[in-house]
Amino acid sequence: MKTNKMIINWSWREIWSGQLWPVMVALTLIIACVVALSTLALRVEKVMTNQGRALLAADLVMRSSNPISPSLVDKAEAAGLTISSQSRFQTMAFSEEKLQLVTVKSVETSYPLRGALNLRDGNEVVTHEVKPGELWLSPRLFSILETEIGDSIAIGDAELTITGVIDDEPELAYNPFNSIPNLFIHSSDLDKTGAIQVGSRVRYRLFLNGDLTSLAAFQESYELQPGESWVDQNRESRAARLMDKAKQYLSLTILMVILMAAVTLILTCLHYVRNRSETVSMLKSMGASRAWLRSWLTTQVLIMFAVAFVIGGSLGLLLEYLLRIPLAGILPKELPSVGAQPFVFAIGVALCIGLPALLIPLTRLLDAPAINVIQKQAVQYSKKSWWLLLLPLTALVMFYGTNIQVWMVLIGLLVLFVVLASLSFKFLKLMSQLKWNAAFSLALSRISRSPKNSMMQLAALSGSLMLVALIWLIKSDLLGDWQQTLAPYAPNVFSINISPEDQPNYLKELDKFELPRSDAFAIIRGRITKIREQNITDLAIYEDPEIRILKREVNFTWMDQLPVYNEVVAGEWTGEKTVSVEVEVAEELGIKLGDEMTFEVNSQPFTATVNSFRAVEWQSLKPNFVFIFNKDAVADLPATWMVSFRAEENQTTFVNQLARLYPTVTLLDLRTMASKVQGLLRQISWSLTGLAALGVLAGILLIFTLLRLSLNERKREITLYRTLGASKKRISNTLWAEYGLLALSGGFVAAIAAEIILFGLMTWSFELPTQWHPMMFIVLPLLAVLVVFISLSTVIKALLKPLR
Amino acid sequence: MSQSIISVENITKSVISNNNELSILKGISFNINAGESVAIMGTSGAGKSTLMSLLAGLDQPTSGKISILGSTISTMDDEQRAKMRSESIGFVFQNFLLIPSLNALQNVTLPMVLRGNEDESSNNQKAKALLKEVGLAGRETHLPTQLSGGEQQRVALARAFVTKPKILFADEPTGNLDQKTAQHVIELLFAMNKDQGTTLVLVTHDAELAKRCQRTLIISDGQCQESA
Repeated sequence: MKTNKMIINWSWREIWSGQLWPVMVALTLIIACVVALSTLALRVEKVMTNQGRALLAADLVMRSSNPISPSLVDKAEAAGLTISSQSRFQTMAFSEEKLQLVTVKSVETSYPLRGALNLRDGNEVVTHEVKPGELWLSPRLFSILETEIGDSIAIGDAELTITGVIDDEPELAYNPFNSIPNLFIHSSDLDKTGAIQVGSRVRYRLFLNGDLTSLAAFQESYELQPGESWVDQNRESRAARLMDKAKQYLSLTILMVILMAAVTLILTCLHYVRNRSETVSMLKSMGASRAWLRSWLTTQVLIMFAVAFVIGGSLGLLLEYLLRIPLAGILPKELPSVGAQPFVFAIGVALCIGLPALLIPLTRLLDAPAINVIQKQAVQYSKKSWWLLLLPLTALVMFYGTNIQVWMVLIGLLVLFVVLASLSFKFLKLMSQLKWNAAFSLALSRISRSPKNSMMQLAALSGSLMLVALIWLIKSDLLGDWQQTLAPYAPNVFSINISPEDQPNYLKELDKFELPRSDAFAIIRGRITKIREQNITDLAIYEDPEIRILKREVNFTWMDQLPVYNEVVAGEWTGEKTVSVEVEVAEELGIKLGDEMTFEVNSQPFTATVNSFRAVEWQSLKPNFVFIFNKDAVADLPATWMVSFRAEENQTTFVNQLARLYPTVTLLDLRTMASKVQGLLRQISWSLTGLAALGVLAGILLIFTLLRLSLNERKREITLYRTLGASKKRISNTLWAEYGLLALSGGFVAAIAAEIILFGLMTWSFELPTQWHPMMFIVLPLLAVLVVFISLSTVIKALLKPLR
Repeated sequence: MSQSIISVENITKSVISNNNELSILKGISFNINAGESVAIMGTSGAGKSTLMSLLAGLDQPTSGKISILGSTISTMDDEQRAKMRSESIGFVFQNFLLIPSLNALQNVTLPMVLRGNEDESSNNQKAKALLKEVGLAGRETHLPTQLSGGEQQRVALARAFVTKPKILFADEPTGNLDQKTAQHVIELLFAMNKDQGTTLVLVTHDAELAKRCQRTLIISDGQCQESA
């Protein structure tokens, strides 16, 4: 057994001196990445599902912008379903000291039908239902309103005494943007508030519980009226969408890191095999059996895997922790544990990639013939171990079997590289026909003399550079898109529900306080009823679940001039009784310029002709509308007004004063939300940057390995040049010229490829606007040259040491 | 009475090169007795190394029979021949072929490890003694890159003798060394050979070196002739 110690020692040294260490680093990187990212992804997913279950507060929910009709309630009861109803609206709550926009949920005693409602009163007694006369506040409201249990606060016209605090409630979406705190009152106290008036925005919900078949039957039998919808458990919130994009980025990065690490693995192993076949021949000549050699190589493989698992696993956990630090604000404090799954997954991935990458070349090493110690002979390598390639292929098929996108990306990458590598090779070959100085022409002739080798190098170099660029660019584009939401001077307070009588004075007040404000916009709630004189219910698109605008109320407005921040993409803002339509909705609904559309407000129909299409940036916090009418089309319809303005931190008193002066106006103060969102984005961006840095690290490791290996292969050739009397300077100039040219063209090719792939990914996968990155065409080639310089300077120096 | 340790009967070796069959050895027969030292000479490309690799069981003849220590190795498979080599054969190569990641001591103990001798301390003891014999006491922990060419070849000598092989094959053992170092290595080789009573088969271009062997076989045009 003692000799095993020697073999282990030896294997260890083989790994370091035999240049196998990049294999270990690559394996470690794969495991660390997979552990970290899958742990994080699993955690976030668990958080989301946990919250999703309680989200509905019932088995099925009907959401409506109109009061739930008593006939529907009767029908549901007749079908044996348990029901409970809720109305919710936003209004201002006033304490002695403060005011705050709140969401009022008026519920019945039976609420909730699913999920936990924990209410704690002043005597620390916990109850689970809201009774008449009670008022329960979410914890945040106590500090915002500077109030305590037993105090009374005003909600609309009603003065209510605070019963206690909401410890836990259903329907709380996992939504970091949800910054409006809520409170519970009983439905019998709703009328007292007087908040529900004609034109005010109230949302009604009917919660339904029952067995699945009766629920399905009920849902089937009921025909949804305009403004009604069944709440889909998978309905996306904005936060979920954001997390989704981040997750998408996460898995893309994992894929790329794994891809690069895998290539590093394969390259290093191939090099190791070339370097070590003499050693194996020698061991064979001394009588080493295949079994002995196999166990010798297995020891090395096992050591590498073991080290990679231990270090990679721990690094992965550390990394997950680090990536999570900036996310603390978004994730709940108590994180669900994820168990061993990420480790199993990481080991699986590492084995799927590592086994074929290591074992195929290493089994070839076993075929090195003993006679090579005396006479070099061409070796017939057995192809027996090629079946190992089935491992990653099967895994890919199992994971991404039906994900055409992934296959397209993989195949696209391959095709792109063959095409681009041959193009840049052709280009370099063309260059070689021009007149250059000695070093460059030698370098160029060397590149064009070994096309296969040069193309492989070009492909690998530009491939890794491209992946690095992609990881970084997607990150920047994603963040850029998110940041755009929050321009520094964007309005941060919205006043809505301003009555026409109050409107002129309200604007005067704003101007008196010198708050920069937008124009005032009339808000008219209505719906679309006809397009080109055809009832929308007769249109095929009406059934399309993606097109919701036909089934809900829409905010209309009228203007004299279109807002400057909306670009008119077709038509002209002229004519009487006309309307300008947001271009994407126009496309969705198949509307053309000159089409006549019929709308309905408070059962009053009116028509307008489409005169133009506008591009709208919904992400910006500016007031935006799908339909903007010419004044004469809608001016005499009942409208409320809205205005947005910007208030700095020190102008809060003005805002509060304004709220007290006009209690019926709803103030949507985005200042806290905006800073919260900004903080959140900063947090996510730190995480993504960390992730991107990891990807870049993997890429640089790959390039580093690639270059050093390729130069090491040239040892013999360089020694020969030296022997033949080439000066050090001549050789190093030639080498620098050759690798410099490869780096420059590789970087350029990488930039083109990255732009193409980025365009595809942004358009089809992330669904974000695309943009060009002209800087990349300078940065990437320079980066390539820099990496080449860093990786090669020591190797070239070593190669040019005096001959022995 | 000396007995034949290597017996070669009418062996041929041909290889396919550019679709042409090329005959390297054309029916060679000879015997080598235990304890003898035999030089194999010939011009470059005559087939010296081919012959040696057949004798050592590194390769197989196209036809004919080779017996070593009474066993026919020309019919053995790869694994059986490897076992035979580990038990009875040692090598010294022109380019030393030490394992770069093992130090001098470990390089010397390697053949014992390959043989399955598990006792590390006894292995180390034997190896140290041999390293001392070749004048490398105190250099045990040096890696091959830290040793000169002559020193590396001396480590290789120690490695070759550590298992007390019955037969030692040396392929141009001084080909990569300067004259003075070569002389020193050769002295050592013959001294250790004599000590252990090993049969020595030596491939060389060097007539002076060949003269130190008891017999010289000259390979020419695929045939083998005993030099007078």
